[in-house]
Amino acid sequence: MLEYIVPATGLLFTLENILWINIGVFVGSVFAAIPGLSVILCVILFLPVTYTMTAIPGMMFLLGIYCAGGYGGSVSAILINTPGTPHAAATMLDGHPLSQQGRTKAALKIALYASTFGGVFSALMLLFLGPQVAKIAAQLGTPEYFMVCVFGLTIIAGVSGKSMIRGIISACLGLLIACIGSDPMTSYDRFTFGVSRLYLGLDLAVCLIGLFALVEILAKAEKRLDALHLDTRKIKDDGKITKSEYKRMIRPVLLSSLIGVMVGIIPGTGASEASWFSYSQAKNMSKHPEEFGHGSVEGIAAAESANNAVTGATLIPLLTLGIPGDGTVALMLSALMINGLNPGLSLFTTDGDIMYAIMLGLILVNIFMCIQGKFLTTLFAKVVSIPQEILTPVIVIFCFAGAYSVNNNYFDVGVALIFGALAWILRKLDMPPVPILLGLVLGKMTEPHFRRALLISNGDPAIFFSSIYCLIFLALIIVAVATIIRGKLNDQKKERAAAAAAANVHEEE
Amino acid sequence: MKKRLLSLSLATVMGLSLLAGCSSGGKESWKVTCPWAPSGVAAVVSQKAAEMSTKYSENTTLVAEAIQGDAATVNTWVADTEANDTELVFVGEGLLSITSILDPAKMQFTYEDFEYVENLYSSIFVLSADAELNVKTIADLEAYVEGTSEISVAVNGATGSEAFLAAALFGSMGAGDKVKLTPYQSAAEAAQAVAKGETSFAVSHQSQILETAQQGGVNVVCAFDEKAIEHGPFEGVEGVGEYGYPYFRNRCFVMARAGTDAEKVSALKDLYDQILADEEVVTWLQDTMLLEVDTMSKEDVEAHVENVKNIVNEYKDIVAG
Amino acid sequence: MKQSLDRFHARMDAWGEKLREKEFRIPVDLTVGVIFLIFALVIMWIMPQQVVISEKDVVNGRAFPTLLMTVMIIACAALIVKELYKIATKKPLTWKVINLQVEMKALVILAILVISYMLCRVTDLFVVGAVFCALGFLFYFRCKKPSYYVITIAIAVGIWAAFRFVLGVDF
Repeated sequence: MLEYIVPATGLLFTLENILWINIGVFVGSVFAAIPGLSVILCVILFLPVTYTMTAIPGMMFLLGIYCAGGYGGSVSAILINTPGTPHAAATMLDGHPLSQQGRTKAALKIALYASTFGGVFSALMLLFLGPQVAKIAAQLGTPEYFMVCVFGLTIIAGVSGKSMIRGIISACLGLLIACIGSDPMTSYDRFTFGVSRLYLGLDLAVCLIGLFALVEILAKAEKRLDALHLDTRKIKDDGKITKSEYKRMIRPVLLSSLIGVMVGIIPGTGASEASWFSYSQAKNMSKHPEEFGHGSVEGIAAAESANNAVTGATLIPLLTLGIPGDGTVALMLSALMINGLNPGLSLFTTDGDIMYAIMLGLILVNIFMCIQGKFLTTLFAKVVSIPQEILTPVIVIFCFAGAYSVNNNYFDVGVALIFGALAWILRKLDMPPVPILLGLVLGKMTEPHFRRALLISNGDPAIFFSSIYCLIFLALIIVAVATIIRGKLNDQKKERAAAAAAANVHEEE
Repeated sequence: MKKRLLSLSLATVMGLSLLAGCSSGGKESWKVTCPWAPSGVAAVVSQKAAEMSTKYSENTTLVAEAIQGDAATVNTWVADTEANDTELVFVGEGLLSITSILDPAKMQFTYEDFEYVENLYSSIFVLSADAELNVKTIADLEAYVEGTSEISVAVNGATGSEAFLAAALFGSMGAGDKVKLTPYQSAAEAAQAVAKGETSFAVSHQSQILETAQQGGVNVVCAFDEKAIEHGPFEGVEGVGEYGYPYFRNRCFVMARAGTDAEKVSALKDLYDQILADEEVVTWLQDTMLLEVDTMSKEDVEAHVENVKNIVNEYKDIVAG
Repeated sequence: MKQSLDRFHARMDAWGEKLREKEFRIPVDLTVGVIFLIFALVIMWIMPQQVVISEKDVVNGRAFPTLLMTVMIIACAALIVKELYKIATKKPLTWKVINLQVEMKALVILAILVISYMLCRVTDLFVVGAVFCALGFLFYFRCKKPSYYVITIAIAVGIWAAFRFVLGVDF
């Protein structure tokens, strides 16, 4: 390894590379901050720019977009309660409440620092443990993937709000919506109602626009017109994060970075799953779980460090085994192939300097993301002071343009509108939208893995307990469920105690 | 104030660089729509062709675009274009020969809606086997098929080209009732499945199984072609055609809208032919993508479509149940 | 023009005030239970027409949606039983207040969104819908500052131009 580091450093530290990293980071941040404009869409649009470049600057540009995209989604989640990308949805739960408390800059900074830490952590994992970790990940098969999905579904309890039953109903709705389209196992259409475009299924980014962005626009109806004007003079947002807040963030950031790496190395899973897993774990392990959903710094830090820790981890199976971990990384694979590089372990010996330059570059990308982010935070924070008359239509136009761009079709804009109206009705019924999103994210993975595993075993469910990894995931599921039950029982006990105390006070009076 | 100025200047520089990077010249540009994954083989080759188009033509530029959606994307393309529009689209045997038979309702177009330009590449699929089975040649495979009660094969998609190739091979060996096709959501996943021992065999593009084969997890048994593979890391792997089994190559046809002037189509074909004859492209296709340059006439294309249709009609019961 | 606009706003205010007083309450848990119970039953009922299965399947395409709808039915039944028990024991139900003024305003916003979408679709020119959307919301917010109109319309056109000419999105 060391014999490649020196030439790799020489290849990496050029003005051209630094410039492309910064352009990539800027473009990625801006794209991801706009609802509907996903990171993958950004990479698709800018991929042709890399074809005139050699492998390293091309990859640096794409990695800049990819990593900054992981952070950029949190910007709109914090500022306008609309996640710019699906994986920033968990950040929204605490980021926006903290922003509403007048601490927009602090929320943005926490997201930035946590993202940077997660990104650098995963880059170091890629650099030092890449091939070893990839070999373990390669042993995970269909039943293990299914167990990961089941573990993911336990998060529903944590994001259901006051009523777990309503959360379960919402999650079932999300999982059912994920079934729309061609059956992945047979190619027969399901729930398409004769609408030809539905056989492609519903795109997650489009559903997200409706569920979170357009419903926020409709929610303007809940406030009086004069109440919509924010008096920014009253807000004294110095963006300071206290020492105790930094201290509280250490544990969730470390744990979430690890979770992010573990999720990222499993091909097919991604930043959304990682951020939810981490958010749930951080809540379960926090000394202040009651703050979650109300502006918890731990919540923001956990979600953001996890979704950025995925970035380096998805590159592990790509660079070592040639298996792209997600759609964006698959595009990077094509950028490498255009340059005549076919990733895999053999490339570490034939073009080791290029491989190590890319891996070292990932650390550099995260550092520049932090530097740019620090400057841009001030600009981004200004968004909250833009008058509603201007901001509202601008958000809608971005949402419509973003939804259209997914498949270059107005059908998707219509779908986003339907989801917006549906989310409004669900809001009226106090139904939490986050479990629907979780259902959409996990549904695309859960069902195919469940059915494929049973197809492999000819219907024998013992396949789900057939390997040590399955048993580890099973143990994690049991621990997660036990923690949830214990938490709920504690909540009930506290409620009863509070009710009894209130009754006593009443009697004394 | 200083910070604000710095932020603003940073944003301006980035914005300008972006615009500069995206600007295009004044040439006539033909948009080439790929209806499959932007990271897939067809999209990557299309990007390469687009990159090379500037080298071979002063007045025509190819602009590659990938809109994943298969038949839906082509439906939209056909609906939105008319003769002589500067738009091209990819179609392959998957749409023209498989979807047209299994699920014609998904297609709002026929072969007649297109004007054939050129075939972009030709890919020879390979069958790989779990190394533990010790199946290395077609003779080994025949012996294995004879003595087993179940043949599990990992394929990309439930009714894709890979599924039909597996069905045709094992069906023609008289083992159609033993075949269990296990569909995966991507070609990479399907190729990995056999190395993990989830299935006994996998059908994939050569590039997708290369790394696993090099690490010794799988044996590449045969190629779905007339003869043995002639180039690359799988050189010498037997072709199923040598044993009389059915096969087809995966191809990607560049199409213009029907009615487009013959001169324009001919100029485009010339441009593609020049690009595909470029030594750099040929080497890149062979060594990196493990594909072949395979320029075809309209008659060849129609014969290919018919051949695949015949295979689909004969083996659809094994695939679709 | 200004006078007629003021008259229109005054009429809207008066109408809004009347609507603001009109509220109705719904037993939210019971409503959720009933609505989603019916929804799940309808999905189960249409399943055979909407999901084609093959006899070869080990686990067919209906299994997972059926499992989901069964869970939904059980959850809904639990909600309904819980609420019915509350009614039987005369415990207070969970109520949700629906204000007609809020719903009417939401409908107006939805109308702006739908018309913007329709304009994009019918004209096949995104910028038309974008400009309508900008004007619609400025009008909804009763904006009287001409500079806001200029800025918002300029941004609307700018977004379209950026997508159309820089990012190459064809709309």
